[in-house]
Amino acid sequence: MGKIVLVWALLLGVFAYSDGLESRCLACHKAQQIPNDLIYRRYLLKYSSAKNIENAIYRYLKNPQKEHSIMPPQFFLKFPMKEKRSMDERTLRQSIEQFIQKFDIKKKLVLEKRSH
Amino acid sequence: MLKYTSKKLENRLRKLHKSHEDTLLYPNYKQIQTAIYDIDKHYIFGTYPKAHTFDATQKGILYEKRKVEPYYLGAAYILVAKPINEAPIVNLKKNILFFMLIAGLVFSVLGYYLGRLFVAPMRESLNRMNQFIQDTTHELNTPISTILTNIEMIEALNTEHQNAKELKRIEIASKTLSRIYDDLSYLNLNHHYHRKIETIDFSALTEERIAYFSSMAKAKDIKIVRHIVEGVQVEMDKNDALRLIDNLCSNAIKYNKHHGTLEVILNHETLVISDTGIGIKKEDLKHILQRFNRANKSEGGFGIGLHIVSAVCENYGFELEMYSEINEGTEVRVRWEK
Repeated sequence: MGKIVLVWALLLGVFAYSDGLESRCLACHKAQQIPNDLIYRRYLLKYSSAKNIENAIYRYLKNPQKEHSIMPPQFFLKFPMKEKRSMDERTLRQSIEQFIQKFDIKKKLVLEKRSH
Repeated sequence: MLKYTSKKLENRLRKLHKSHEDTLLYPNYKQIQTAIYDIDKHYIFGTYPKAHTFDATQKGILYEKRKVEPYYLGAAYILVAKPINEAPIVNLKKNILFFMLIAGLVFSVLGYYLGRLFVAPMRESLNRMNQFIQDTTHELNTPISTILTNIEMIEALNTEHQNAKELKRIEIASKTLSRIYDDLSYLNLNHHYHRKIETIDFSALTEERIAYFSSMAKAKDIKIVRHIVEGVQVEMDKNDALRLIDNLCSNAIKYNKHHGTLEVILNHETLVISDTGIGIKKEDLKHILQRFNRANKSEGGFGIGLHIVSAVCENYGFELEMYSEINEGTEVRVRWEK
């Protein structure tokens, strides 16, 4: 019985964790039709590792300006500049981590069956 | 091959990076393993085992590792690995060995054939010389013996002719011829004749041979100095002993100056025969013992005397030493035991 309670608690925690990213960030992104996957790919192309990407996103969110953004200036002709949000440090770091995990490229990579 | 695969993978990553499919198909190359790593060298994906880090290398595997930029799919490093297939290397080694053996065999046969071809004229010339000597010695034996016997008879029977100069000259010339005959037949039969090893009274034999050469020495007014210890005995064949003494004495007279000295020292350790003659150049001393080699061509001869002396010494384990100074003389030293 104790184990079942523990599993349920963990599952709820996970949902709450990912739900946080959805409610804090992606809900707005969705409404504004911001291409999350495209943004993540641009970060990946420039910074390569999760750690570097996390730092770059953190820098931008702390001070959202065109020159700090990974996106080209033309992007902001179509999409509005993000407003600076007051989010505590821990939640901000957590949200960035969740964003990276959600769009992690490793999840999409599959080994090709046929051989060349 | 690995570089080409690495480039191919990079191109594929570029295409995958731009793809918005739900699944990105990572290439799977036949017999080649690949992997991509981020800028911190953390494994992203690949067919190369995740457990092996980017910098580690394994024995028996060929690697192509390189940094790429921009980082398509976050890949900053590409690793391409291929296990070394030993079979072609072993085959190649076998082929090389086989080829070298065949080449060695061919070159040996070719070398032998060419060697024979190049040496043929020299060998032919030596054979001709040997044949000539063989024929000459055979034909000379009877007339020389006849001349010497008759001179002895004339000397014995007609006492008034005993001191005739002409007769002495004939005697010397005949003895020279006789000695040359003995030397040449010794060389020709060297390997075929049976040696009778016996204890020879070398002192008596030396005295006898000095007496034999006295007429030749007298003709050049050469003074013979003897220091012969009595009772020196040597175990050897008598003909070999004769060839040894005769050749050394003959050379010492032949290459001596008029009014010179021939010194013969014999004791239980050595036989030393020295002259006050023309001497031999230092550079010629090295080759003087070879057959048909003559340091000085002013006198007649075949250049076989010292070759015979050397052969006799070698046969019996005697040590042969030669010292010579131009215009001072030559000393030949034979040590009975090395």
